[in-house]
Amino acid sequence: MNTLFEIKNLKKHYEVNKGLFAKPTIIKAVNDISFEVKKGEVFSIVGESGCGKSTTAKLLMTIEEPTSGEIFFEGKDITKFNKEELREYRKKVQIIFQDPYSSLNPRWKVGKIIAEPLKLNSDLSAKEIKTEVLAIMKKVGLEEDWYDRFPHQFSGGQRQRIGIARALILKPEVIICDEPVSALDVSIQAQVLNLLLDLQKEFNLTYIFISHDLGVVEHISDQITVMYFGDIVEANDVEGLFSNPQHDYTKQLLSAIPTIDF
Amino acid sequence: MLLEIKNLLTCFYSDDDVNRAVDTVSFSIPQGKTVCVVGESGSGKSITSLSIMGLIEKPGKIVSGEIIFEGIDLLKQSKKYLRSIRGDKIAMIFQEPMTSLNPSYTVGYQLDEVLRLHQKDLNKKERYERVIEGLELVAMPYPQEKYGEYPFKLSGGQRQRVMIAMAMMCEPKLLIADEPTTALDVTIQAQVLDLMRKLQREKGTSILFITHDLGVVAQMADEVVVMYRGHVVEKATAKELFTNPKHPYTKALLNSIPSPGKVQRKSKLDTVDENVDYLQFSKEIR
Repeated sequence: MNTLFEIKNLKKHYEVNKGLFAKPTIIKAVNDISFEVKKGEVFSIVGESGCGKSTTAKLLMTIEEPTSGEIFFEGKDITKFNKEELREYRKKVQIIFQDPYSSLNPRWKVGKIIAEPLKLNSDLSAKEIKTEVLAIMKKVGLEEDWYDRFPHQFSGGQRQRIGIARALILKPEVIICDEPVSALDVSIQAQVLNLLLDLQKEFNLTYIFISHDLGVVEHISDQITVMYFGDIVEANDVEGLFSNPQHDYTKQLLSAIPTIDF
Repeated sequence: MLLEIKNLLTCFYSDDDVNRAVDTVSFSIPQGKTVCVVGESGSGKSITSLSIMGLIEKPGKIVSGEIIFEGIDLLKQSKKYLRSIRGDKIAMIFQEPMTSLNPSYTVGYQLDEVLRLHQKDLNKKERYERVIEGLELVAMPYPQEKYGEYPFKLSGGQRQRVMIAMAMMCEPKLLIADEPTTALDVTIQAQVLDLMRKLQREKGTSILFITHDLGVVAQMADEVVVMYRGHVVEKATAKELFTNPKHPYTKALLNSIPSPGKVQRKSKLDTVDENVDYLQFSKEIR
């Protein structure tokens, strides 16, 4: 398998002003992390709130600029990209958000929401765009008649499907999934996980999967990286991490999952 | 039985429609035990707990049924009576520790308020000591300092401890916990669940625990009530439910969790079919 992402000594520090004359405190949200993501794998980042997993996602999405460090994508450092290169990069790397309620524009119809990335990034005619949108809607299990509906007419699971369709429309190579199922009921969660796995096979996608739910991560991942206060404390493949956790924090995390055991 | 709910019907009215949010639900909570109500969003589990607390407001209404607490039907009592037992004999912990504390009062003031309302014979100093004891009970670090802090200074786990301390302040007979750990990290969740079990052991409190997390149910419940579209579809002890679920809905729900060891990695998970009305199976079961 080829290396798709190579992250080297990535840091993101935030300065927080504590008052007019006080020295600003530095929050080390991501503190010197390095990892590699291979093409076609599900690479999961787990940890609790504040561990830096979402900041890492933002850095990969170029929503935030790193304080220092390098992010190589297909051998090129994205932190040095110019505007045009960034545009190309962002087509290849898409994101699905946690909250299916706030990540869709409530005033836009579903068809428009899904079509938007394509409108911005291609020369297709309106008719061609609509064909593409309907095709992708079918892929993620949304019915054609729903093209003209608004987000509030959908359930949480269906909205997450809309988010997935929007991420897929540009035929990306990588999808960053930032807690994609945390806001969903378990039954709906299972449907979305099934869909993500199907799509991965069909489009040969790479997922960077960010989650705090170790049950979900265990099910879907190939590689797992555990973050704690901005650092990577452990990285291993899924079998190794669950059968033989090394770091104390990983052990603590694993033992804290409420298990069904009778 | 500490609490018996019999044929509770709670409806919400809109202009042209009636939504039977809790539809003839019956179950009971024994002294000193934990009963978990599980279900998906919209199944009526929270409305059940709000009905017990007498907190259903327009356009909702408790239409019929009985809620018998210590032999008294709460639905026949005055608002004044309900106010006197809320926070005293029946206390509640809500899901959102961020929003259910008042941001403009200190932690100490908000805990003290419970005692001011329900323990009128205590003086200021005695109340202060009780509040500190309460914070110590929930293992809050530096209770004296935390007394004067505002909620925004506390972490999520600490805020939920304050909520639990507040609920336990008058040593309630019944603690209703509505998704108390859903907003928390797993390690903090484990601490909070431990704490609730410890308090139950020490004080003999009955707990009505509302959650959608079946892992938490397995950890906490003596008995489980499964709700679906306003109805109770299955009632069983925790062991029975997990080892031998009877209702197709319960089975579907249990199978949809990715649980290590039981389901093959990356295999298709079973799902609850949205197009099936699982209530149709209920008659065969009973």
